[in-house]
Amino acid sequence: MDSESNITRRRALIAGGATVVFGGGVAYLASRSESSSQEYTPSTYQSLDGTTGYGVELADRPVVGERDAPVDMYYWTDYLCPFCKEFERQTLPKLGQNYVESGEVRLVFLSYPNIGQYSMPSAHWDRCVWRQSAESEPSTYWDWHGEAFDAQSGGGHDWADEEAFASITERTDGITVPAVDECRRNNADEIRSDIEADVSLAGNSGVRGTPGFVLYNRDADAAGKIVGAHPYENFANALDRVLEA
Amino acid sequence: MSAADGTAHRHLRSLRAALTYPLTSDRRLLVAGGTTGLTYLVLVLSTFPQFSVQVVSRNPTDIGYAVSTLTREVYLTTGWTGLALVVLYALLTGVALTHTAALYRQTRASGVSSVATVLPGVLAAGCASCGAGVLGMLGFVGAMAALPFQGNLLRTAGILLLVGFLARTGDPRTCNRGEIP
Repeated sequence: MDSESNITRRRALIAGGATVVFGGGVAYLASRSESSSQEYTPSTYQSLDGTTGYGVELADRPVVGERDAPVDMYYWTDYLCPFCKEFERQTLPKLGQNYVESGEVRLVFLSYPNIGQYSMPSAHWDRCVWRQSAESEPSTYWDWHGEAFDAQSGGGHDWADEEAFASITERTDGITVPAVDECRRNNADEIRSDIEADVSLAGNSGVRGTPGFVLYNRDADAAGKIVGAHPYENFANALDRVLEA
Repeated sequence: MSAADGTAHRHLRSLRAALTYPLTSDRRLLVAGGTTGLTYLVLVLSTFPQFSVQVVSRNPTDIGYAVSTLTREVYLTTGWTGLALVVLYALLTGVALTHTAALYRQTRASGVSSVATVLPGVLAAGCASCGAGVLGMLGFVGAMAALPFQGNLLRTAGILLLVGFLARTGDPRTCNRGEIP
């Protein structure tokens, strides 16, 4: 039997057209630019110690918001994670304005290096920048954190290396590369152990990717989990439920 | 023409026949198109299964949001090459499953064996394509980080498996397995 005996021009055109539409649609979804992103700069930072009721070690973890806010939002992140950037640019500004600035939520930054080979070193940079700025000028950390996410470029994570993070640090006022390097050299084991504790807690919480969140009402000892860059409404609904717990 | 050239030529002819097989009837074309779309949906949603499940379970109509967000995520994480490989895999799966349906109908009595022939290739290629999400779900934190080229090498290997299956099958309506000496 001739395998092409009943291939018609009409079907060939339909298949070709559908393939082009399919590929073009995917390319459109991939390349559409982010909608207008807002800026958010927290008014309060905390440098805390101890362990929360949920089991999060707070020492050396950046905390944004009021110390006595009733709900903790634990945020596992990775500087190489595009989805985390999406959350930071699209959703975090609204959450910050509506929940952190109102004193209802405090945001705790935790590491979950999982995307690329430089994920772990970038988490070390993060911890040292926080250590260098937490007591003196914690907004420096926020500026550095924003610069680091701005440095992400599409098409993989090859952009992330020593040079890129040194450059991010140089661009940030209030912090120097030699100071951060010294911290990374002298505290490498301790920082690695802290990061491993964060990753382990993520695993125990059922968080398997970044960005990952646990919302925890400290008084009620009630928690909820969100994984991924959900739309703002999903976060708001979840936070409202945990606040009312 | 050497024996090697002859074999390569035969495989290419067979692959061409396999790829054009869905064009041989409206129904087959529809099955291939539907399977392609469904495969892409599954592959993209499985790049971050927890997120997909949460978004869809909160509001099933948000599936479009999940697909568009994760499509962009795949591009940003793996580049155009990674995204193109996922699209190519979906297209090839559409063709391969149309073949499998034909093979199954033809050898209904021994249907299990024909499905068993294609299933490992499809699953291996699928797992290679969806990448970090499923590995993460299985507890391999950072496993994709250790793979070269953001996992694109693994995706390519998966696609080669499918191409190999199609080249071996050719047009499923013909008997081209045996060689007459």
